[in-house]
Amino acid sequence: MALETSLESPAPVRQIANAIAGWVDRLGAVWVEGQVAQVSRRPGMNTVFLTLRDAVADISVPVTCSRTLFDGLNPPLVEGASIVVHAKPSYYANRGTLSLYARDIRMVGLGELLARLERRRQLLAAEGLFAQELKRPLPFLPGAVGLVTAPNSAAERDVVDNARRRWPAVRFETAYAAMQGQRSAGEVIEAVERLDRHPDVEVIVVARGGGSVEDLLPFSDEALIRAVAKVRTPVVSAIGHEPDSPLLDLVADVRASTPTDAAKLVVPDVIEEQRNVTRARDRLRGAIAGWLAREQAGLDALRSRPALGDPRSLLDDRVDEVVMLRDRARRCLGHALDRAADDIGHQRARARALSPLATLQRGYAVLQDADGHVLTSVADVTSQQSISVRVADGRIHATTTSTEMIDREIDGREEA
Amino acid sequence: MAEKKPETPSYEQAREELVEVVRTLEAGGTTLEESLALWERGEQLATICQDWLDGARKRLDAAIEADEE
Repeated sequence: MALETSLESPAPVRQIANAIAGWVDRLGAVWVEGQVAQVSRRPGMNTVFLTLRDAVADISVPVTCSRTLFDGLNPPLVEGASIVVHAKPSYYANRGTLSLYARDIRMVGLGELLARLERRRQLLAAEGLFAQELKRPLPFLPGAVGLVTAPNSAAERDVVDNARRRWPAVRFETAYAAMQGQRSAGEVIEAVERLDRHPDVEVIVVARGGGSVEDLLPFSDEALIRAVAKVRTPVVSAIGHEPDSPLLDLVADVRASTPTDAAKLVVPDVIEEQRNVTRARDRLRGAIAGWLAREQAGLDALRSRPALGDPRSLLDDRVDEVVMLRDRARRCLGHALDRAADDIGHQRARARALSPLATLQRGYAVLQDADGHVLTSVADVTSQQSISVRVADGRIHATTTSTEMIDREIDGREEA
Repeated sequence: MAEKKPETPSYEQAREELVEVVRTLEAGGTTLEESLALWERGEQLATICQDWLDGARKRLDAAIEADEE
């Protein structure tokens, strides 16, 4: 039912209004999910005006509902609550405004909320935003630490104080953002992205103290999760206490249980590191000193061995050996000589015994002719022959006068 | 016995040979001439080892002193 209008025959406002109303009605009743942005309930008015904001986009729509419906809600509707509304779009022709007339408002209960969070988690997980391989390691010593937190909040103090205690020279780039309420997700995204662009910031910590599931809802916000996934700088999620685990924990590169824990993760304990370095150096020197001492002892032992320490001992052995040998040689020689001497003495005695000298000394004499032959028989000589007579102490030269034969018989016995 | 090695032996080589020299000398059975040569070689090796150890000690002490300044 497109309207035929033209410059010449324009349609009156009421016609257009009715047309719009008609189109709007065609949407019919729908279930709509959103976050309550504003609530205006004026006494005396039986209509309550709300603004319902989209969870992700920056779009909102006015919602009207009857006061009885509004008052009957339990728990009561508060700003920031997530609700699901069964409403029919309606167009008020006289003022040309459009709003959703809510016939039924359902609180998104905690169970419902968690269920929806779980569904969102699965959706994002399926897209691989939480993939382990995407996790970037934290720098050991960051140039500057980006911090997204609420201004002068306990979380901020925890992170900054702890980091300073561990590393006094740490540098912070803080980007403040609302850590609660609808504006929170948007502001955190903007802060994170600004810190990501900052050249010096090498790690970003998103820190917030504890809170209820609703309080921490912004940190499961889909847009925030996608933004953090895209950011290049490593992100540490430090939201709430240990049990709290918004989706930000899953997409962040590192999950810290608390802001204090985050400080420990992003900044090394320099004092501890210093102590480690010193200890390592001492052990290094101890090892070398130990090795040197051992080798020196080994060498000293070797040098003190007689073979080296006191070479004379080597020679002494030889000297003793030589002396011993010499003595033995001398002793042998001595013996040999003695024996020889005895032998000679013995021989001499025998010679002497056999030698005629003794006989001569007993008064015998030996006769020799001129040429020395020994005369043993009177027949050997003639008279007047010159002979020499050998007596014990010399020779007597004589000339024979006569010879006389003596009977051999007597002499014979003597010979036998 | 090997005459002087062309270049200074490493600490381990020198120490190895020194142990060998001492064992040979103590085992005996070497001629006087050999013993003398062995003994001289032993002295030489011991000096080499001592030099290595002194050098290492000096470098360690230097590092420690440098630290104390």
